Amino acid sequence: MTTATTTATPTSGRTEAQEIHFKSDRNAKIRMYLGLAALVIWGLAPFYWMVVTAFRDVGYTFDTTPWPTHVTLDNFTTAFSTDRGNHFGAALVHSVIIGVLTTAVALLVGVFASYALARLDFPGKYAVLGVILGASMFPGVALVSPLFQMFSNFGWLTGANYQALIIPNISFALPLTIYTLTAFLSEMPWELEESARIDGCTPGQAFRKIMLPLAAPGLFTTAILAFISSWNEFLLAAQFSTKSTQTVTVAIANFTGAQPHQEPYTAVMAAGTIVTVPLIIMVLIFQRAIVSGLTAGGVKG
Amino acid sequence: MAVTELDTVVAQTATDKRRVKTTSKEVWTARWLLLPAVLFLILLTQIPFLTTVGYSTIRWNLLYPNDRGFTWFKNYGTALSSGDLWPSIVATVVITALAVVFSLLFGMIFALLLNRQFRGRAVARTLMITPFLIMPAASALIWKYSMFDTNIGILNWLSRTLHLPVISWSTEHPLLAVIIVLTWEFTPFMMLILLAGLQGQDTGILEAAQVDGAGPWRIFTWITLPHLRMYVEIGVLLGAVIIIQVFDPIAILTKGTGGTKTLAYLLYERAFIGLDVGQAAAYGVITVVLTIIVATIALRTLFKVFMAGGSR
Repeated sequence: MTTATTTATPTSGRTEAQEIHFKSDRNAKIRMYLGLAALVIWGLAPFYWMVVTAFRDVGYTFDTTPWPTHVTLDNFTTAFSTDRGNHFGAALVHSVIIGVLTTAVALLVGVFASYALARLDFPGKYAVLGVILGASMFPGVALVSPLFQMFSNFGWLTGANYQALIIPNISFALPLTIYTLTAFLSEMPWELEESARIDGCTPGQAFRKIMLPLAAPGLFTTAILAFISSWNEFLLAAQFSTKSTQTVTVAIANFTGAQPHQEPYTAVMAAGTIVTVPLIIMVLIFQRAIVSGLTAGGVKG
Repeated sequence: MAVTELDTVVAQTATDKRRVKTTSKEVWTARWLLLPAVLFLILLTQIPFLTTVGYSTIRWNLLYPNDRGFTWFKNYGTALSSGDLWPSIVATVVITALAVVFSLLFGMIFALLLNRQFRGRAVARTLMITPFLIMPAASALIWKYSMFDTNIGILNWLSRTLHLPVISWSTEHPLLAVIIVLTWEFTPFMMLILLAGLQGQDTGILEAAQVDGAGPWRIFTWITLPHLRMYVEIGVLLGAVIIIQVFDPIAILTKGTGGTKTLAYLLYERAFIGLDVGQAAAYGVITVVLTIIVATIALRTLFKVFMAGGSR
């Protein structure tokens, strides 16, 4: 009996505590979902509004109903039309060419460098790392003017000279590539490479046949990040691109509307949708890889 | 030239540290593997920079191509006395500081939210990252039109619905508009760094604190914040290095009006609108010096993390 009463008090006490705990738990949950709602609005509201405007008939541009009305695809046709001197379609192609070539070169050069940094122990490793990280922090805007003089001396600032855009872009993508890849490569099971070498592979073969396939996800993530960095570049593109190499960033910033002297709201929003929505979808598909890549590059450890 | 310099540094450290067990063949492999990357980066950032330093000492305006000559530090003198430099340093510091602080604050809130377990967390995290990955030129345009615009912007749609005065954000409050866009863009950046820090936290300590009766606020200020200190430092420094150089939102939203003419924009204006190569170069050198100050501190902090992670 006595034991029963003594145990009864703590149990009821505990249930009371549990009750409080439960309530605070529920409050915490509500707060969390409110926070999440804020997060989603914060991240998506500008995109949502952009997409809604992009699909709205030009005549109803100023209709600010928060959901889609007067849905039409005309704005996309306007965005791609070349009547007003916009070359959005061509600019998309130029940006892809520049992005792919930049990524390819940065990845090729970057793989060698990151292999050395991640795998080999050698004196001066941190000096090299310092040079690479330092280069990534160097203000691009200070390079525009000298590069402009240099490239115009080379005759690169006319016609379809893609290298005038690709070469500086590589210098921005390369540090990013190297430190993302270094982080990836230093996490790899290198014992496998050693056993392959014991089994008679040359170091090159061991790397190519055993390690490269294992490193594929890391390479892929790095490629995405390098491509994005090139795709997003505006400052140099604004100065160095010609009519035949104009990038999407420049095209979209210089957009002129369907009618002269009119802010091209709907067409710009349509163009904006074309350049951003595929990226959002891509990021959603490859989100795990991208998050690990971004975190690996930024903070390793 | 810089490469040989680097090589001597490498050689010096090699003789200093005889205890390194790597064979000399491996050291040479490493050097050859690194050579293209280092050479490329030095060629593309350091040579143009030295050119800039050279340009900054000559009188050279593309409008007067025949009047060109060596002027020592006259360009710097003009920069200091022209009345453009100080306002633009102030603009750069104000924009960078406020954008970093706000994005850090929001980044912290979102990181704490995303650190919890719930369904759809991965999707929420991804959506949160997109503002950082989106083309900055496009996000500046999206904000210019779909948020700030007096006719179709959400902000003004909200104020009209609530019967508040309509504000033309990018012309009436250009500084605020630029800071808002930058905060939006960099919140995910801060969030990712802080989230990495939060996920590296020892859950055992948190549980122990909870058992000892510490409330969530106490746990946050006494355990989580000190743990995050290094991540906050990295976020602030890297964010500052990037935002100091920022160009796109200013070019697209305000064109440097209303106290938003940062050093980067001023230098661009001098070089490509004023066509004054010498003057622009002087501003370039000043921008680089300012960035180097912040970047050196950033690098030192980053190294601490790299060393801690790489020693495994």
